[in-house]
Amino acid sequence: MRETVGLPLFPVTVVGSWPRPHTLLQALKRWQAGEIPEAEFEAAADVAVLEVLRVQEDAGVDVVSDGEQRRDNFYSFLAGKIEGLRLMTLADVLEYAEDKVYFDRTLRSLDAPSFAIKSPTVVDRLRLRSPLAADAAAFLRRHTSRPIKVALPGPYLLARATWVAGVSDAAYPTREALAADVVAILREEISRLVAAGVDFIQLDEPVLTDVVFRPSVAVRSFMCAPLAAPETDPAGELAWAVELVNAVVKGAGVRTGLHMCRGNWTRNEAVLLSGGYAPLQRALEAMAVDQWVLEFATPRAGDLEVFQGRAGHEIGLGVVNPRIDDVEEPATIVARVREALRYFDPTRVWLNPDCGFGTFAERPVAVAEVAAAKLRAMTAAAAALR
Amino acid sequence: MLELNGLDLGAMQSLVQTIQADANAAEPYNEWTARVRWMGGFKAQALVRDHTFLIDEPADLVGKNEAPNAAEYLLGAYGACLTTGFVLNATKRGVKLRNFEVTVDGRIDNILTFLGLSDRGHPGYREVVAHAYVDADTDDETLQAIWRDTVASSPVGNSLTRTVAVHTVATRA
Repeated sequence: MRETVGLPLFPVTVVGSWPRPHTLLQALKRWQAGEIPEAEFEAAADVAVLEVLRVQEDAGVDVVSDGEQRRDNFYSFLAGKIEGLRLMTLADVLEYAEDKVYFDRTLRSLDAPSFAIKSPTVVDRLRLRSPLAADAAAFLRRHTSRPIKVALPGPYLLARATWVAGVSDAAYPTREALAADVVAILREEISRLVAAGVDFIQLDEPVLTDVVFRPSVAVRSFMCAPLAAPETDPAGELAWAVELVNAVVKGAGVRTGLHMCRGNWTRNEAVLLSGGYAPLQRALEAMAVDQWVLEFATPRAGDLEVFQGRAGHEIGLGVVNPRIDDVEEPATIVARVREALRYFDPTRVWLNPDCGFGTFAERPVAVAEVAAAKLRAMTAAAAALR
Repeated sequence: MLELNGLDLGAMQSLVQTIQADANAAEPYNEWTARVRWMGGFKAQALVRDHTFLIDEPADLVGKNEAPNAAEYLLGAYGACLTTGFVLNATKRGVKLRNFEVTVDGRIDNILTFLGLSDRGHPGYREVVAHAYVDADTDDETLQAIWRDTVASSPVGNSLTRTVAVHTVATRA
């Protein structure tokens, strides 16, 4: 159990991403098209990061992030950092999709063309080209005195979603073979992040909900990885995810968190996954992370009651929904936290949104003004609770 | 070779000049043909110029699901026609396209009439919806103008929206 040193009760933080300004989106597009050098994109990102930081500091957020402004989404950005991982559009890999009907249905629910959804795909042995997030973290560290949080795509997500039969098997015969290199790369990055002064590292494992809430893992898509993962049993998948997460965080020497959600790619709540934490609880408890960063603002996440008797665990409680424009009242947030206090020790409860406000650069679920108002609602609630 | 959107601008210009000089030169492009041969079950093979493609029904509809069915080809044909038209009209305006994709959804008026189980309505499409996704170096106004021209000049779209005189005959062979 990691002590919360130097932080008030009910620390307020973010899950990570923030909507990108138009200028940064333009720079991202031009950089990806090879029209401007990386340095020009990074300069635009520097400006955007400082603005995201200012918004968080003004709102009174205790542990801040860089809003993932340098990423095109929460895990595709790795294609630029790791050799052997190529950003392929769904149009590129359509021929490899085993279930093309599901592929099309996913795109229709996204209201997106196949060329707009990019998925990092393993095409060769993985080799680090540049730090995954440590440079970005160092920039953030230089510009704030507050504790900082960095999210990394989790090992299960990467091993499952980047390995595509027919494309990846020449480099790694199985996704299990790929996982060993994924774990090694993430462990090295955690060391770099610690050295850069990061206080909180969150592993994003959104596909865990896909494992348990889909009728079958054969329906293998989570947002942008509709090709990966052969049909397997959910219990086996969860056990493997636990094994990978624990291998990554072992001896990390920093606060670690595990984030999962039920989809954050659309504002249409009806098409996102639904279900409580009960089928995930054993896996969560087996993961050697300090904090569970979980959705609870959306009713789709079920009740807190499943955590009865888990007072020793630390929870990053999702108290605002990034996908709706109505800003939660601080009183509503306070009531939700009080409910959590029936199951968690007050010193172990953090406040955060259910997920990022801009998981996908070109398809953020929120606008910055609304997101900022939601941060202020959380800090007002935290102040009332303290 | 001067090229835009993968099209040879010189060849395009020369085609336009030839047709402008002699409208009869375009006459061959007014005639299109297909020959379709039954392959057993609901499967068929179409011969179009020196290309062939298969047509089949889904397994649910007692086919072998080896290919799209004829009504699906119609949607595909409309989508392809809009794609061709968009590329043409964008190129005419000097607009560079990065990506273009179109979804086409059709709603059959009453499929029961095809199965002979109803005489209400008809077995054709009642409505077809096309949604284009465009990634191009242009402003919204130009993009919409290109789309309007594309829809208005689409041969397949016009075949769908205007009354087409269809003559049919069956002979013993």
